[in-house]
Amino acid sequence: MSLSKTIYNTLFKRSSTFALTCVVSAFVFERGFNLGCDTFFETINKGKLWQDIKDNYTQ
Amino acid sequence: MLKPPAVSGYFRAVSQVVTNQLAITTPGTVVPKKAVSKIPFGASSALSLSRTLPDADFSVSSGPAVSTQIRWAHTDISVPNFDNYRKSSTKDPNIRNSDTEDSRKNFTYLIAGGLGASSAYAAKNVITFFIQSMSASADVLALAKIEIKLADIPEGKSVTFKWRGKPLFIRHRSADEIAKEQAVAVSSLRDPQHDNERTQRPEWLVVLGVCTHLGCVPIANSGDYGGYYCPCHGSHYDASGRIRKGPAPLNLEVPPHNFPSDDVVIVG
Repeated sequence: MSLSKTIYNTLFKRSSTFALTCVVSAFVFERGFNLGCDTFFETINKGKLWQDIKDNYTQ
Repeated sequence: MLKPPAVSGYFRAVSQVVTNQLAITTPGTVVPKKAVSKIPFGASSALSLSRTLPDADFSVSSGPAVSTQIRWAHTDISVPNFDNYRKSSTKDPNIRNSDTEDSRKNFTYLIAGGLGASSAYAAKNVITFFIQSMSASADVLALAKIEIKLADIPEGKSVTFKWRGKPLFIRHRSADEIAKEQAVAVSSLRDPQHDNERTQRPEWLVVLGVCTHLGCVPIANSGDYGGYYCPCHGSHYDASGRIRKGPAPLNLEVPPHNFPSDDVVIVG
């Protein structure tokens, strides 16, 4: 059984598993999307954020 | 009645015409009918197909010497090319359709599933937005009190809480700090306040973490006086929250608070 057949039979074939796949991938997507956006924000604002200048002030 | 001599002149004349040299003695060349070329058309729609059918009475001959073969339209119409609409895995005639079936289905369901996942993400954010609107509103929070268990704060530490939308510092002062702050000469201060005016119990300092200069949040346990330090413009506060150095004009604000028991403080 090839990989695509396995994926189709386990994830997409039945509506119940398809819906479950959507929900689970939504969690993964949310985590990845938020992390990616934060990383992007911190990259373009590097040097301006508290985490970058924290060492100058705390002991 | 006409007399024969009267009409004989006509007969003569007619006979003269017939016998004249104008009479056609040799057959002339026949001008061929101009050939009308019919534009051949391929039947590619129901209309053009119907044009190939007889639209009037017609007879059919049959017999051993008569060909009865009929050319039906489907032998003439070429199958349209749908390659632009087909998945590339199905274009190769040597590959069986069932071999690529799962991957094609997977692609289709992946698109649908991706849409479903991103819709779920969007729906979750919309629902969160509306549920958060049910949380305590600003006017409720503006009158809120906070009750803090003091046992959780170790000596020498300053812990930040959120109270009425502002940071609140609770500092568990050590005996050294208390002695040091008590000993500071009030006259030397910019905003003269003795340490006893600012604390109800000397080991607990309760101040708002808002710099009196421009409202930044000071950093605990830093600065020249070991209390708080505002990173925005360099205001130094001591362990009693009093301004000692820098641009801030006033001491850190002490909110109304009381100690109902030994290990609980209620601010507000």
